[in-house]
Amino acid sequence: MSTADVVVIGAGLAGLTAAIRVAESGARVHVLAKGHAATHWGPGGIDVAGIPAASTPRDGIRRLAGEPGHPYAFLGDDVAAALEWIRPHLAAGGVEYLGDLDTPLGLVPTSIGGTRRAAILPAGQAAALAPWAVGERLIICGIRGFKDFWPEAIAASLARERIWEGGNRPTSVTAVSVVLPGLAPRHNLNALTIAGRFDDPAWRATAIEAIARAVGSVPGSGGRVALPAVLGIREHAAILAALQKRLPAAPFEMPLVPPSVPGIRLYTALRAAVIRAGGRVQIGEMIERVEHDGRRVTAVVSAAAVRTYTVRTGALVLATGGIAGGGLVAERDGRLLEPLLGLTVEAPPADDWLLVDAFDPAGHPLELAGIRTDAELRPVAADGASLFDNVRVAGSLLAGQRYVRDRCGDGVALTSGWRAARSLTAVPAGHAAEPGSERP
Amino acid sequence: MGDSHAYDVLVVGGGATGAGVLRDLARRGLRTLLIERDDFGTGTTGRYHGLLHSGGRYVAKDALAARECIAENRILRRIAPASIEDTGGYFVATPDDPDDYVDGFQAACAAADVDCEEIPVADAFRAEPALNPRIRRVFRLPDGSVEPWQLIESNVADARAHGSDAWTYQRLVGMERDGGRIVSATLRDERSGSVTRITPRFVVSCAGAWSGQIAAMVDVTVTMHPGKGTMLIFNQRMTDTVVNRCHKSSDGDIMVPVHTVAILGTTEQRVEDPDRYEITRDEVAALIREGEKLFPDLGRMRLLRAYAGVRPLYQPPAEVTAAAMKDGRQISRAHTVIDHDAMDGVENFVTIVGGKLTTFRRMAEDTVDLVCAKLGVTEPCTTADAILPNQVPGKTYWLGHRLAEHEAEGGGDADLLCECEFVTRPMLDDFLDRHPGCSIDDVRRGTRIGMGPCQGGFCTFRAAGLVGERARRVGAADVAESADRAILGFLRERFKGTRPIAAGRQLQEQWMISGVYEGGLGVRSLIEHETPEASREVVDVHR
Ligand SMILES: Cc1cc2nc3c(=O)[nH]c(=O)nc-3n(C[C@H](O)[C@H](O)[C@H](O)COP(=O)(O)OP(=O)(O)OC[C@H]3O[C@@H](n4cnc5c(N)ncnc54)[C@H](O)[C@@H]3O)c2cc1C
Ligand SMILES: Cc1cc2nc3c(=O)[nH]c(=O)nc-3n(C[C@H](O)[C@H](O)[C@H](O)COP(=O)(O)OP(=O)(O)OC[C@H]3O[C@@H](n4cnc5c(N)ncnc54)[C@H](O)[C@@H]3O)c2cc1C
Repeated sequence: MSTADVVVIGAGLAGLTAAIRVAESGARVHVLAKGHAATHWGPGGIDVAGIPAASTPRDGIRRLAGEPGHPYAFLGDDVAAALEWIRPHLAAGGVEYLGDLDTPLGLVPTSIGGTRRAAILPAGQAAALAPWAVGERLIICGIRGFKDFWPEAIAASLARERIWEGGNRPTSVTAVSVVLPGLAPRHNLNALTIAGRFDDPAWRATAIEAIARAVGSVPGSGGRVALPAVLGIREHAAILAALQKRLPAAPFEMPLVPPSVPGIRLYTALRAAVIRAGGRVQIGEMIERVEHDGRRVTAVVSAAAVRTYTVRTGALVLATGGIAGGGLVAERDGRLLEPLLGLTVEAPPADDWLLVDAFDPAGHPLELAGIRTDAELRPVAADGASLFDNVRVAGSLLAGQRYVRDRCGDGVALTSGWRAARSLTAVPAGHAAEPGSERP
Repeated sequence: MGDSHAYDVLVVGGGATGAGVLRDLARRGLRTLLIERDDFGTGTTGRYHGLLHSGGRYVAKDALAARECIAENRILRRIAPASIEDTGGYFVATPDDPDDYVDGFQAACAAADVDCEEIPVADAFRAEPALNPRIRRVFRLPDGSVEPWQLIESNVADARAHGSDAWTYQRLVGMERDGGRIVSATLRDERSGSVTRITPRFVVSCAGAWSGQIAAMVDVTVTMHPGKGTMLIFNQRMTDTVVNRCHKSSDGDIMVPVHTVAILGTTEQRVEDPDRYEITRDEVAALIREGEKLFPDLGRMRLLRAYAGVRPLYQPPAEVTAAAMKDGRQISRAHTVIDHDAMDGVENFVTIVGGKLTTFRRMAEDTVDLVCAKLGVTEPCTTADAILPNQVPGKTYWLGHRLAEHEAEGGGDADLLCECEFVTRPMLDDFLDRHPGCSIDDVRRGTRIGMGPCQGGFCTFRAAGLVGERARRVGAADVAESADRAILGFLRERFKGTRPIAAGRQLQEQWMISGVYEGGLGVRSLIEHETPEASREVVDVHR
């Protein structure tokens, strides 16, 4: 048994953001998560509103806020503040994010030879975003023996105009492969193994030379070099700087299939910020039950194999993610449940969950499912009445967003986590701070 | 395409039956051409349950079918061991199964010559701990599982070695009839659209559930009763033995371990058009409810996907009764060779319908006997004795074979592209070398890449990368397009299988995979903005 002022369930962008801010207010915060989050699966950027119609994230927020039920309707005005607030925390953890709400949304090439819309990216990916000059080349540099990055196929795909929506793009795309020291005879290389090697200064010096030779063998000058996103974890900033200095073209990382190295860096920086601020983060705790006394949550209980673990708490941030995270569970009989508090889930009927074509541009109705809240992120029932006084919901669990299709999931997670923390720690006139009031 | 189009026989349909007929004709000295509108084994043969029948499922109701099954079961083990996993089969009596059926089961097996041994229930539980502990009696029969694509390939290879041909992506679009004879057949290349006319002496239709469409081309009526069956793939082998309910065959009463997964089946439902049918959530729920009588934990196991196939059920016109229309199961699984000379006055046309995958060779033998009689050929059938090419006598498939082969070659790091099914880069390279111009679906059927528990979430992308790299090396023009097709086609197909079972961990997994591909990898940008390629069949949730 332990005690906290605020328990956060979920160690994704939403939960960790909330935890940093709560901890900085001086409250005792405890993050519990059953496992790693969408950070480890995603590209590691901060997607705020990457919709095709939008020119900038700010424009995208405005457009999404106008859609019925989108969380930006009440969060939209805070995205800028949340972003500027998190930026130094991430930089302190070794990952610098570039771009803001007024950076033009651009097309960034991906490791399956496609493109995605982005504006706010970690420094390691940011070079992909600048407009392409006439004659500018793109070199795709693969690593021999690494099966999650296929430079020839990527280059062939990116050479097509339609992938760039007919707009601005590199003039030529070329593929090269590099043999990295000690890795060639090893098969089954994964991104984490290679990233681990890059963190070793002696190894990386040789590796960077090898990359420079491979890139140098491509005729021409200038341009940019795409590398698989394996450029170290702890030492990423130094590796990036060394490559920028040594290569004749501007390097950038392409995110890969999971585990995502840029996402792990993001997670590591967020977690470090929670700890610096005095909070605790525990991964591997599957919360099975949340206890409450009427409208107030009092404790969360995790049932591990050998013991149950209870944390008494004054307040709860529920940041368990959507269907992918485990915050929403679909039953075979067609019900969609929020398993911890049994909150009302807003969802279409089961027969309408999924459209016939996986890639139907309309997006699957199920994507919009989630928990409705009031503007303070308190969960509400179908009739709009709030259910718990000391619970806040944040992140992908919130209803009304198509977080992948509209590329707004990171913006919603960040801003709702930030807002949830403010809501729990603010001292309304004439009241004690909410967390403190329940301190056992 | 061969330059000489002078064929004795045209065989229509590249499922197991067509491949068997092709082989048999070729071995009897008839120069034969097989055509298939898609790839081999994309009809019912590629969408079936995977059971090598012992005959046990038919002993009570259709002794003839049971007898044929056990005879062919023994033959296939001899001539095609590499396509078979010798899992053995249990027929188990659950509390829901009627005593009289169970009590009479052994005698019925004996009467049909099907080997059957009752074993102590405790032995069965020891071998298969996931079984329902309330099972009362267990019989052991020689069931197995059989891999259809390799089987077809072996048959085709043997036919080619005997001077015959087989063409894929060639659709029969018409036949010209002059009085009582078919004088020509028109094929359309499904990829280029080009049309070929050939003038065979004889035509054999092995088009399964599509046989009515072929016959109609020469104004002959073959009334098929396509029966859709739905199956569910689980992410684990909860059993290494085929498990059947010991009762009158019904829905959801058999689990077949197939490679790294296990498949529960089936259902039976009449459909009008074998190219259009749907899988409903209710059907999935009902299958699981029945399956839980065999494996009580089934509801908690992860479902990978649902799929369905259509049985080529046929009954001669006079015997079509109202009862059979209601319950497809009452139509005999035994096959019928339709002699259109005797029935319809077309002297050089035969259709083979019905049957099972297990009996495909026997079906072919019966058909080819008739064709030979008509063409005056007296060569005897040799398909039951000659082992198929690429097969080693007595060496049946087993789950660890790829790993064992790898270890035998020195082991070590394996350059795995597909962790679930143990597909290495050299294996894929080798397949691509042998099948120029193949599609990613062909790759999947040929190597099993993407058929394991991750359902292609990671390996598809790798296979597409390798395809792209190779295409680039030989300077192919459509490198990127083929990689796109690989990725998009695979993700669409995966989604289609998930849709009727969307729940629990499989939905969660689907959400993660689509998040990866749509989020970080920007897969939607690969989609060309036109209507998605019309898919061959619509497997769809009822709405
Ligand atoms: C594969 C993938 C790719 C994505 N790509 C993009 C993208 O490119 N752009 C974009 O904008 N958005 C993307 N998203 C959306 C993404 O979900 C959001 O951007 C955001 O990161 C979500 O953060 P979150 O904190 O709300 O939830 P998550 O990151 O899902 O975190 C949920 C957390 O809750 C924990 N949890 C759940 N249930 C329990 C329990 N009972 N007990 C304990 N812990 C529990 C989980 O272990 C996890 O730590 C993607 C999502 C996925 C899954
Ligand atoms: C749900 C289900 C489960 C089953 N389970 C088992 C089992 O466990 N064990 C077992 O032994 N049997 C089983 N069967 C039966 C078995 O699958 C079939 O009997 C067998 O596969 C039929 O093979 P076929 O070659 O006759 O037909 P198909 O495999 O359907 O071949 C016919 C081919 O003709 C092609 N074709 C159609 N029209 C044209 C045209 N115009 N031009 C060119 N080609 C054309 C089609 O594309 C198709 O490939 C099952 C069947 C079903 C439906």
